Amino acid sequence: MEILEAQSTASSQPIEHRFNPYSDNGGTILGIAGEDYALIAGDTRHTTGYSINSRYEPKVFDVGDNLVVSANGFAADGNALVDAIKNRVEWYHHAHNKPLKVQSLARQIQHLLYRKRFFPYYVHTILAGLDDEGKGAIYSYDPVGSYEREQCRAGGAAASLIMPFLDNQVYFKNQFDPATQQYRVRSYLPIDDAIKIVRDAFSSATERHIHVGDGLEVLIVTKAGIEKRYFPLKRD
Amino acid sequence: MDILIGITTKDSVLIATSKSVARGVSVIKTNDDKTRELTDHSLLAFSGESGDTTNFAEYIQANIRLYGTRNGFEMSNKAIASFTRNELASALRSRKPYQVNILIGGYDVKKKKATLNWIDYLAANVELPYAAHGYAQYYVLSLLDRHHDPNMTQEQGLELLKDCIKELRLRMPIDFKGVQVKVVDEAGVRKLPEDF
Amino acid sequence: MAGKDCIAIACDLRLGMQSVGVSSNFEKIFEYDSVYLGLTGLATDVITLSEEFRMKHNMYKMREERRMEPDTFANLVSSSLYEKRFGPYFVGPIVAGLNSKTGKPFICGFDLIGAIDFAKDFIVAGTATDQLYGMCESLWEPDLEPEDLFETISQALLNAQDRDALSGWGAVVYIITKDKVVKRLLKTRQD
Repeated sequence: MEILEAQSTASSQPIEHRFNPYSDNGGTILGIAGEDYALIAGDTRHTTGYSINSRYEPKVFDVGDNLVVSANGFAADGNALVDAIKNRVEWYHHAHNKPLKVQSLARQIQHLLYRKRFFPYYVHTILAGLDDEGKGAIYSYDPVGSYEREQCRAGGAAASLIMPFLDNQVYFKNQFDPATQQYRVRSYLPIDDAIKIVRDAFSSATERHIHVGDGLEVLIVTKAGIEKRYFPLKRD
Repeated sequence: MDILIGITTKDSVLIATSKSVARGVSVIKTNDDKTRELTDHSLLAFSGESGDTTNFAEYIQANIRLYGTRNGFEMSNKAIASFTRNELASALRSRKPYQVNILIGGYDVKKKKATLNWIDYLAANVELPYAAHGYAQYYVLSLLDRHHDPNMTQEQGLELLKDCIKELRLRMPIDFKGVQVKVVDEAGVRKLPEDF
Repeated sequence: MAGKDCIAIACDLRLGMQSVGVSSNFEKIFEYDSVYLGLTGLATDVITLSEEFRMKHNMYKMREERRMEPDTFANLVSSSLYEKRFGPYFVGPIVAGLNSKTGKPFICGFDLIGAIDFAKDFIVAGTATDQLYGMCESLWEPDLEPEDLFETISQALLNAQDRDALSGWGAVVYIITKDKVVKRLLKTRQD
């Protein structure tokens, strides 16, 4: 009897172990569309918890046909999704022998995400390209494929820091001129201004968010092709 | 859940409280008065944990009355609200907090101004043009947002209150057995005979 | 926010119970002579603490026969909060003011049990902290003049609160300089 009691009080209760198929690899991404360009910027830090796994792990990709995609969140899912997207673009060529339009890939991505409705890709996805009129287009998605075309969008770890800044600097929200009693009207940003805003947004996010930093890689889509630019960020 | 609604108009405050008392699955009273008169020009309406409610309300009432007799003049409505909040706030971090939500309607005879104070069981006190407690909030606040005007007459206020009750009768899943309406204005506190 | 020989402090006006908005006129900034206290968090504790500090500040003035400096007030806030270490007030306080002797800007923030965060640039608190950090970090620069500081803090607050469902419903900004305090009510979105 005494022995039995001693056993039950020590550590006879079973410990539950459960496999968790998801993790968070930090990082943040941002897309802006202009009159004749669209860009996606992403930091290059790759983390798990407080550890930095890599200071240069690109997560914005050229998927062909002048289209750029980034899937931020759980990196394994992000890479798997980007691979699936690249695959879709390639098979579209085999089937139809013509370039894939941005609005068509946008819908394709929705289907790729929704296919895994009950075991989702744990990512915030952004697609950039040029539309039929040659105007910049940004499409953004939730993890299960709900999407919308926008002029700008921030995703990932520091989205909550960057998005209000974008409202202010890209959509000119709350920019009221008391002299004319008029709100500033929305217009397309020149590419140089957009790059400045992107760099400011990322240096600010780097300052206040531990999962953001190391480097900033920007992929800019124009009718001439895709240009890749790199800017260093703080590494602390 | 009991209903408490308060509306200020240009020269009065209207306070409506549900008439039902329910215990478990049964309605045990259909003409309940969930209000206490604090002074000639101040009315306290309450809802929440039964027992706590009347006990707390009558404790506040007795103290406000005592202040009046001791000093020969009544406490201002702002002071009444502050006092009530303070009692609720000190109870909040005691062994057994009062779980009472409160509306205090008052009319200042000198300033000729009606006030309404909204106080919840956590002792957050705010002065508002119109207010409600409990589930009634979800139904009537939007109506009041749209139709309330601080300069409306008492008659217009009562019409608005009727619309609120109409909405509650339509949307509330349980029968609250109608409401009792009391008015606080220049003449003091009076109960409306009309059945809402 | 600190500027050149000036400071600014701002808050929204919403009081809510979770999703339902109760008041659109609930100011969270309190004046103690030339010291300004911003209090976010549980409304009842905001009221309790603002009144407690009113009392303690008045007692100090009577005992010492002089005004309280911002850094002194910050220590008062800190020790008062730590007194309730194991049953804390659920608030996010910030203190701002100009030192009456040196004229130097002083701003600081606290956690709910009184740990002080001294900052040279800006302090944020409340439900929209992430958004505010993003805005302030990108808009703020050193040595802003009062009018520029007003525009900076206003844009920071407005755009941050528009991205937070629990903030908004109006806003108030105080601009404090050596010989003038300007309080402005901002016209904001009401959703």
